[in-house]
Amino acid sequence: MTITMTSGSAPPGAPAHPGSGPLRTALRITALELRLLLREPTVVVGLVAFPAVTVLILAGVFGSAPDPEFGGVRPTEHYVVGYMGVVLAQMGLVTLPAHIASHRELGVLRRYRASGVGAGTLVASEAAVGAVLGIGGALVVLIVGGAIYGLPAPDDPLMVIGWLLAGLACFVAIGLALGSLMPSSRAANAFGNLVFIPMFLLGGGGPPRDVMTGPMQSISDALPLSHVIGGLRMSWLGATDDPQALWWPAVVAVVAVALAVRSARRRVA
Amino acid sequence: MTNPMTSGSPPPPGASEVERVVRIEGLVKRYGASEVVAGVSFEVRRGELFGLLGTNGAGKTTTVEILQGLRPSTAGRVEVLGLDPAVAGDRLRRRIGSQLQDAALPARMRVSEALRLFASLHPDPRPMGELVEEWNLGRLLRRPFAGLSGGERQRLFVALALVGRPEVVFLDELTQNLDPGARRQTWEVVRQVRERGTTVVLVTHDVEEAERLCDRVVVMHHGRVVADGTPEAIVAALGGVATVRFTDAEIDAHRLRELPGVRTVQRHGPEVHVVGDGPVLAHVGAHLVAAGRPPLDLHIDRPTLEDRFVALTEETSP
Repeated sequence: MTITMTSGSAPPGAPAHPGSGPLRTALRITALELRLLLREPTVVVGLVAFPAVTVLILAGVFGSAPDPEFGGVRPTEHYVVGYMGVVLAQMGLVTLPAHIASHRELGVLRRYRASGVGAGTLVASEAAVGAVLGIGGALVVLIVGGAIYGLPAPDDPLMVIGWLLAGLACFVAIGLALGSLMPSSRAANAFGNLVFIPMFLLGGGGPPRDVMTGPMQSISDALPLSHVIGGLRMSWLGATDDPQALWWPAVVAVVAVALAVRSARRRVA
Repeated sequence: MTNPMTSGSPPPPGASEVERVVRIEGLVKRYGASEVVAGVSFEVRRGELFGLLGTNGAGKTTTVEILQGLRPSTAGRVEVLGLDPAVAGDRLRRRIGSQLQDAALPARMRVSEALRLFASLHPDPRPMGELVEEWNLGRLLRRPFAGLSGGERQRLFVALALVGRPEVVFLDELTQNLDPGARRQTWEVVRQVRERGTTVVLVTHDVEEAERLCDRVVVMHHGRVVADGTPEAIVAALGGVATVRFTDAEIDAHRLRELPGVRTVQRHGPEVHVVGDGPVLAHVGAHLVAAGRPPLDLHIDRPTLEDRFVALTEETSP
């Protein structure tokens, strides 16, 4: 055996080299995955163009005069602020699950695992991918909507950040769970859209809560997106009719993480 | 692990424990009522080019996935580089190389990005230029994975398997999708990998590949080991019978039957088939020359690993 072929082999029990710790590996994979996703036209359209165009249309339809049906705020501000949550839901229900399911279906995750990349590292990098996409999409909505319609300064900036993080945690967790449960990227896409569209319409992205019928209001109140959007609107604009219980998206996040872990264990066995 | 493990072909006298880089004893894998690996035992020695040969569904891929810790076993004992794959997991996987049968990279990942990413996972990766040259990837560096042909993907996967200077490399159906020229080039590079000191575990259903490349072969069928030894030893177990063929419509078959080693003589029109063992070709050739009838088409057919493989799989089929 030649020395050159064996010199790189770490002895049993030796720690990984400084450049290959789980955190660095997760960051490298995240950076590369994000670069690859930006080469996907469907991702760019779905996560950036769709919410930006929709918020511009809806906000324009209802005008910019304060309206009691929108909790007394301007409809333009109501939609621009609320669409930060819509972007998070789009990421967690459609983009991230389809991305993870596609990786698993094609054997990309197995390829990483076979090279010694830990399951936790992969989960962390996929979660980070979802978080960056969600924050990026929310910023696009704010920049585009704010530039066209104008936005007041946030009423409570810290709470805005808090609700944004709660929404991210909730929808990233849902994305991880759906990504591990769905058998293929096509199934993830179909199921994700089936859930996203009603949630988008009833959860704060469509008509205001006050104009909904009683049963529709009840459904809306059960959706985690309604609470995330309600919290964002309340903390940014100081008024909203949407529900805003922080514990509800937190519970959904915990259940989603548990489902993701259970599904991942079953798949390995 | 303290107890010595047994296998179909015990190591030669003097072989030490440390020379065995893979040890499997009584490995079982069940999915519900289906037993895909049924009590497999074998070992792989350091520096060997070892073949795991079998038809599709024989349990080969499941076995090597358990060896890499990618799948848990139901029962049995497994050791790779002295570690239990189910426990050592990522720590073991960083010391081995792997080219998986069903694996891919993200469609838009470029070849250069893949090489850089996988090199970054190892403490002392091989220089990218060296791998690019070795596996002829130079003109593919900017090509996305989805734009690669089957053969180009295989070359990239092997390069990724070798980037971390592994002590053992698992190559699963390596030459699948390769054209005959690329297949032979790949065999040559696999030999070079072994010559540099890396133990190679080659999983294949291609008998010719196993016969040409491997120092030792384990044949699996229906989840069991049905043969274990060098390709020559496995073929010899068939009986070592050879068939000498030539064309001569008027040769005296009785005289041929009296030659040493000859078992039977058959006529197929003008063609004569002399079946025998030992140096039967030399005896038949000498007889024909002495009789003044040297043929222009004297051939000998010896049994191959493929013949033995077919016989084994037929014998052990339920």
